[in-house]
Amino acid sequence: MASSSKAARLGEEVWKSRVDKINAEVLTLTYGTIVAQLCRDLTLPATANKTDYAAVNAELDRMGYNIGLRLIEDFLAKSNTGTCSSFRETAEVISKVGFKMFLNVVPQVTNWQGVEGKPQAFGLVFEENPLAEFVEYPDDGRAQDELWYSNILCGVIRGALEMVQMQIEAHFVTDVLRGNDTTEMRVTLVRYIEDEMPPDDE
Amino acid sequence: MSVYSFYIFDRHTECIYTKRWTEHHAPPTSRPSATGALSNGAADVPVATRRAMKLEDDAKLIFGTIFSLRRMVRQLGGADDQFLSYRTGEYKLHYFETPTQLKLIMLTDMRVGNMRTVLYQIWATLYVEYVVKSPLAPTEHPRGVGVANELFEGGLERFIESMFSPQP
Repeated sequence: MASSSKAARLGEEVWKSRVDKINAEVLTLTYGTIVAQLCRDLTLPATANKTDYAAVNAELDRMGYNIGLRLIEDFLAKSNTGTCSSFRETAEVISKVGFKMFLNVVPQVTNWQGVEGKPQAFGLVFEENPLAEFVEYPDDGRAQDELWYSNILCGVIRGALEMVQMQIEAHFVTDVLRGNDTTEMRVTLVRYIEDEMPPDDE
Repeated sequence: MSVYSFYIFDRHTECIYTKRWTEHHAPPTSRPSATGALSNGAADVPVATRRAMKLEDDAKLIFGTIFSLRRMVRQLGGADDQFLSYRTGEYKLHYFETPTQLKLIMLTDMRVGNMRTVLYQIWATLYVEYVVKSPLAPTEHPRGVGVANELFEGGLERFIESMFSPQP
């Protein structure tokens, strides 16, 4: 596919020449600290140390959303990609340019659903996930089933795409940390956001 | 070559940044031509009233103009078409829109060439670096909060100076 190899080249080029890099372990450990702290802070009502994992997931998503709102500007300024003509192209650019540029990984775009004009969704399968290195889930019997460790990425994509007029819904469906074979996020296009009109002047 | 003013509008159609350069930037020749244009009143009235109008009204007017122009251009030239600038007898308006619907507008005199790359530079090297990446600036900028910080202001000032200072 011509556009996908073009995206791959662009991602490679931006990664090589235009991005400041930091040690991956610094990121891994910093993110791990954030998640661990959230797990300590957000507890179920009326309990001292039973983590409310749903709240942790939601908080990570919210943090990601706020990151995404800003990250998109940096992404656009550095990659200089124009507007995507289809959601399929958006998926390619997210995986091959976006993730390449910021995390130096290229998740596979898989499991396409829907066609142009209908509800569309795709999966992003992470073969490697720099956020999830060295991670062990707490042994409380619930984290394995409830915590989505990398949920911040869902928020990032949601925030970033909202800025370019796409309302989407993103969530993880599998995670190797939970014992699944792969780590997969599903991204579903809800709608394209219309241009906002200026308020009526009297 | 001289620059008159610069505006940024966000995706909520709000004017989040305005900057005007003082009169001494304007070429001295503009005065006789302004009075000379008195005979055709239609062209002159906006210029005369513009000075008197408040800043917000100006911004609203400009936004209305580019909003309609943009829509018209897309209807005629397809969804990917963008207009770059328009020119009147008094000034030239340059326009650049990012995929995030941030709109950068610059008003200069009529002799200035294509400013698209300049506006792109302002966005990519100043706005993104100093406003978007500033941890203290809010993500959205209601009433322009957080945009006009020192680094952005200073950077813009210097950049425009370097563009326009070699007066012929």
